[in-house]
Amino acid sequence: MKKALALLLALCMIFALCACGQQAAPAPAAEKPAEAPAAEAPAAEAPAAPAEEIVINFPSVWVGTDSKAPYMEKLIAQFNEENAGSIKVVVEEQTDYQAARDKLRTTITTGNTPDLCILDTTYDIKAYTTSGKFMDLSPYLAEGWGQDFTDGAIDAWSVDGKVCFLPFESAVFTPIYNTKIFNEIGWDHFPATYDEFFQFCKDAKAAGYNAMGQMAGENGWSSMLWYSLIVEAIGGKDVYADGLKNPAFVQAAEVLKQMYDYTFEGALSAGAGDVNGHWLKRDTAIYLNGPWWVANLYKEENAVDGVLLADDCEVAANPKYEGGKGEGGLVTTVQAFLAAAEQTDPAKKEAVVKFIKYLTDPEHVSELALTSGAMFFVKYEPSPETNLISQKLTQVANDADFTIIHVNGAFPTAFSTEFPAAVSALIGGQVDAQGFVDQLQTAIDMAE
Amino acid sequence: MSQTRVRPSLQGRELILAVLRWFLIIFFALYTLFPLIWLFISSLKTNFEFLAGSPFALPAVPQWQNYINALTVAGLGRMLLNSVIVGLSATVFNIIVASMGAYCISRFRFNGREKIFTLFTAGILVPLNALMVPYFVIITKLGLINTYGGMILLYCAIGIPMSTFLIRGLMDSIPMELEEAAYIDGCGFFGRFFHIILPLSRTGIVTAATFEFLTCWNEFVFANLLVSSEKLRTIQVGIRYFTNQFSTDYVSMYAAIMISIIPSIIGYILFQEQIIAGMTSGAVKG
Amino acid sequence: MKLERSDRGPLWAFLGPAIILMLVFFVIPVIYVAVVSLMKWNGISAPEFRNIRNYMLLFKDKAFIRSVTNNVIWALVAGFIQVPLAMVMAIILSRKPKGWKFFRTVYFFPQVISGIALAMLWRAVYNAETGLLNGILKSVGMGHLACDWLGGIKTAFPAVLIYWVFYVGYYMVIMMADITTIDESYYEAATIDGATDFQQAIHITIPLIRRTSLLTCVTLASVMGLRQFEQVYMLTNGGPANTTSTIVLYMYKKLQDSNYGVASASAVILILVGVVFIVAIRKLFEGRSETVKVKKVRAGK
Repeated sequence: MKKALALLLALCMIFALCACGQQAAPAPAAEKPAEAPAAEAPAAEAPAAPAEEIVINFPSVWVGTDSKAPYMEKLIAQFNEENAGSIKVVVEEQTDYQAARDKLRTTITTGNTPDLCILDTTYDIKAYTTSGKFMDLSPYLAEGWGQDFTDGAIDAWSVDGKVCFLPFESAVFTPIYNTKIFNEIGWDHFPATYDEFFQFCKDAKAAGYNAMGQMAGENGWSSMLWYSLIVEAIGGKDVYADGLKNPAFVQAAEVLKQMYDYTFEGALSAGAGDVNGHWLKRDTAIYLNGPWWVANLYKEENAVDGVLLADDCEVAANPKYEGGKGEGGLVTTVQAFLAAAEQTDPAKKEAVVKFIKYLTDPEHVSELALTSGAMFFVKYEPSPETNLISQKLTQVANDADFTIIHVNGAFPTAFSTEFPAAVSALIGGQVDAQGFVDQLQTAIDMAE
Repeated sequence: MSQTRVRPSLQGRELILAVLRWFLIIFFALYTLFPLIWLFISSLKTNFEFLAGSPFALPAVPQWQNYINALTVAGLGRMLLNSVIVGLSATVFNIIVASMGAYCISRFRFNGREKIFTLFTAGILVPLNALMVPYFVIITKLGLINTYGGMILLYCAIGIPMSTFLIRGLMDSIPMELEEAAYIDGCGFFGRFFHIILPLSRTGIVTAATFEFLTCWNEFVFANLLVSSEKLRTIQVGIRYFTNQFSTDYVSMYAAIMISIIPSIIGYILFQEQIIAGMTSGAVKG
Repeated sequence: MKLERSDRGPLWAFLGPAIILMLVFFVIPVIYVAVVSLMKWNGISAPEFRNIRNYMLLFKDKAFIRSVTNNVIWALVAGFIQVPLAMVMAIILSRKPKGWKFFRTVYFFPQVISGIALAMLWRAVYNAETGLLNGILKSVGMGHLACDWLGGIKTAFPAVLIYWVFYVGYYMVIMMADITTIDESYYEAATIDGATDFQQAIHITIPLIRRTSLLTCVTLASVMGLRQFEQVYMLTNGGPANTTSTIVLYMYKKLQDSNYGVASASAVILILVGVVFIVAIRKLFEGRSETVKVKKVRAGK
């Protein structure tokens, strides 16, 4: 029995070593079989010299029903056509976002980082960059490519001069409101301060409307965004400088708690579907989400009596907070970084860089922005066909004096996983505002 | 005298029992049919109706388009086929391995028998989510990443504890005398397994096979993890085609779920017939 | 049966494949998890040995304690409420009332339906504004009881648990398979003696399945209760305030945080709790040796 145990332990050690040892050897092990099934079908159309073809595997979430999917598909098909015989980008469709993250984490951990991937992590970038698993793009960016990106965007995410994470998709978070409801309640403008905001909330409630949608179910997304806005309004530019120690976090929790009095019933168990449903139902005055949602405002399906929701919508700014430092600030985030696995083969390295350059080409990005409503860190000429709300959002982004990222992005993932639980504990009366912040801090500490 | 007093009260009790019995039967039937009906109704709505309307209202106009959407856009046909291939192969291998194992554990006393069985039972407990990294490494090392083989092997393996547990439970109830008699008649190890034990534990095997197949059919995490080629994707990946980073096309997803359920319900009904046939012909004859 | 020398070879050949699969896919990975549970590892940087610190962290974490408690409640409810309900249904249906085939198939449907659909339905039922449950309460004049079932710190866990208890098809099918192997002559004799269906169930059916399929089901149900993840994940994601969290959900969240050490430690604890359950249930149903005796009696008839 003891012998057997010893043997098992030994096996396990070998196994663990394999798992770690694999980190040294980059991806190719994983992608060879990946070619095989993909090669079955297009065999007929592929002419000669497939031996030299470099295959880039790219697990993408910009597929399926995602708003970026149609144009991305076109872009990649075009790239493959232009480089037929030499480079082939194989997209692995990842529609379930959480599953995509789980898979990416597992492949990176086991040393099978995909050739190109989309990541939304903002906090772990340092660890990822220093791990050596990702390709440093700084030499290529220095050749002039970097000029295509908005000022300071790349530097903000470089670690010791290395740029492994290329900020690509951005997002601004600012309230959108339903002017029809505002008029009905007798408000002709969006509240400029949080005091005024709560005055509005009271009026809305009295008239039978929800002021805004909150959710503490699922990942607590809407509440996370509102909390970020309040934190920005109170703490201003440097609110994240000392982690959660800034008193703004406790104050903001108090404000968030008040907001729950003016949202729909059942917000503690609500998910994104509930928040969106209420907003579409026109019983909620203010909506807060990223720019990708704008497309839904223009959908016929969501029109009531033939009036598009967008026609009743106006973009607002984050209200000021009495005594706060947030005036002129804006909550944003890096919605997606592009990151490539470190490559040993120089030809493949060039191919991957070529593809990333192709994706970030201002012309392509302009079209991608137009078709999806998303915003980017690439400088581009916005298409004149851009819808009004998107234009206004861009205006808000350009007018901002400074930006901070949302709270989920500013702290380790442990923060965002604990956030909904902390909110429901706060609203349910289990903890006070200080306890709310402590609960989040404890969660973060556990991962440290 | 006592006879006449007892009988009506017995009948009264029988009546109550009958009412109670039918109440239970119908309650459970409605309770289990309810999700299916709700799913079907929801799958015929528009997203606006689903999100903004009452969740229990009927759609204004049934949106059969959602089904067309699910079949054409998501390419569910190919995925259903993959699920059938993977599910059936994994189930066959799983049942072969598990019934052989269960036979040994159930019918023979040898050193470490109980330990082995405890090990198998404990296997049911293991939270497979925790094993994403090791499983990924194992399947990669075996060169089976992104193949049917990888999925089949993994599904076959993760179902072993459950199947062994279920089949052993049934094999235990086969009387020892039957096998002993066969042994005295000169029937060997394999003969006893194939001619006596296997036919008699048919109900257990069919039950285990049903569960194993459904596990394969409903598994998503590893189906997504171990496969990247679209050609190999299974139905659970297909169902999630209609979700994305920011929103979900609920109604199309429900249509996809309905489509994914139909084959397994038909399969189950057919399988049930088999169980019934097996039970009538293979009833323990003592 | 005694193992004959001639059987030894085939025995190991038969047991071999199962054991190899168990070693490769359970034993080694679980040992790996146990090793990781002693480390601090984010999956990127080199792992650091931490001794039992991850376990200490777990026991200090209220959310984890709550998860363990929830799982234990879940396992008990599954084993001692859900399975008995399933048994009642199995007994009723095995007496072949009208349409029993239909009902048996229907009862199994929830097992076939994707977990997403089931969770979405029950979210809709429990919804505070448009939910069916509140609607019913209001229509029978008990509107004061209406609330946000899944959002209330007190109501969420019972709500998640209760709806699920009534899905009994899984265990019912297992027990029915066993009940149908009971020799008809038992019931015939009992009927001649004037025993009612109820008496027959108590005196014939239950004792005969008790140590076989009933034990199987109670064990399985408890284990499933301990492993509960998907439904909670989709209904409440553990909220509100972690009151509906389970060990596997807790572990999953730690994996999302790339906190492999703590996640692995919670997996190890789950396995330990489970082993305690399995052993306790077996003790409760008494030694296995008696099984053979009961079955012999049954076969002898």
